[in-house]
Amino acid sequence: MREYFPTYTMACTIETMDVRTRNDDDPTHAASMVDDIPADWWEEFEAAWGRPLKTRMRYAFIRTYKPVLDDAPFRSFETTEAYRQWCERNLPDWLGYGRV
Amino acid sequence: MGAFDYRQAEEVRDAFGRHHVRYLFIGKSGAILLGFPDTTQDADLFVERSTANGRAIVQALRELGFDLTDDQAVDIERGKDFVQIKNGPFDLDLIFAPDGIECFADAWERRLEVEGFPVCHLDDIIASKEATNRQKDRESLPRLRSFRTYWLSKQ
Repeated sequence: MREYFPTYTMACTIETMDVRTRNDDDPTHAASMVDDIPADWWEEFEAAWGRPLKTRMRYAFIRTYKPVLDDAPFRSFETTEAYRQWCERNLPDWLGYGRV
Repeated sequence: MGAFDYRQAEEVRDAFGRHHVRYLFIGKSGAILLGFPDTTQDADLFVERSTANGRAIVQALRELGFDLTDDQAVDIERGKDFVQIKNGPFDLDLIFAPDGIECFADAWERRLEVEGFPVCHLDDIIASKEATNRQKDRESLPRLRSFRTYWLSKQ
């Protein structure tokens, strides 16, 4: 059987493919972008980066009831636009699915 | 039903791999796999639209314990743009045509792999959220863009 996806053992080792834009390769630009990250976000990014994926997922995926959205076992939409419109017509505003 | 967890993600990866499904984690669930610290409820999968892939998805989902009717299976095999499934061991959104991404093949070329999980490139995840432009996307994008900068600094 063909092996599709190689596995990695380090927490955040990622096979990167052309991840940088021209600006990203400009050290001055990149440094200023890093400096723009709020300190509390930076600390959160650092903390998460040091955790194994399994732990990150345990912290990240939560389960709460979402009215209407969770009330049907299956929905399908011909177009993504139809789905967006359905969300705007049917879901409470506070869920945040309405477009700005 | 509990929250989506690592073991279930492994089951998705393994079942989809066995059936040769072409898919990518996308949305906040994809960003989380790349290291983004935030919370979400659903696993979102960008899936390639083709008859063969649709059939493979249905087989894999049934193997995972999703109770799909024949009509529901046809919707997936046809590749309707957006399919939301809540009749299985965890909630899953299948997205055949996400906002802001031209085609699956392009996203596949740019994909990243984390512990064997195929994930959309962070730029595609951001582009998709920018194009969707929901209130919840607007709220999460500044932090996600900052994470992109952080993430690049770690490469």
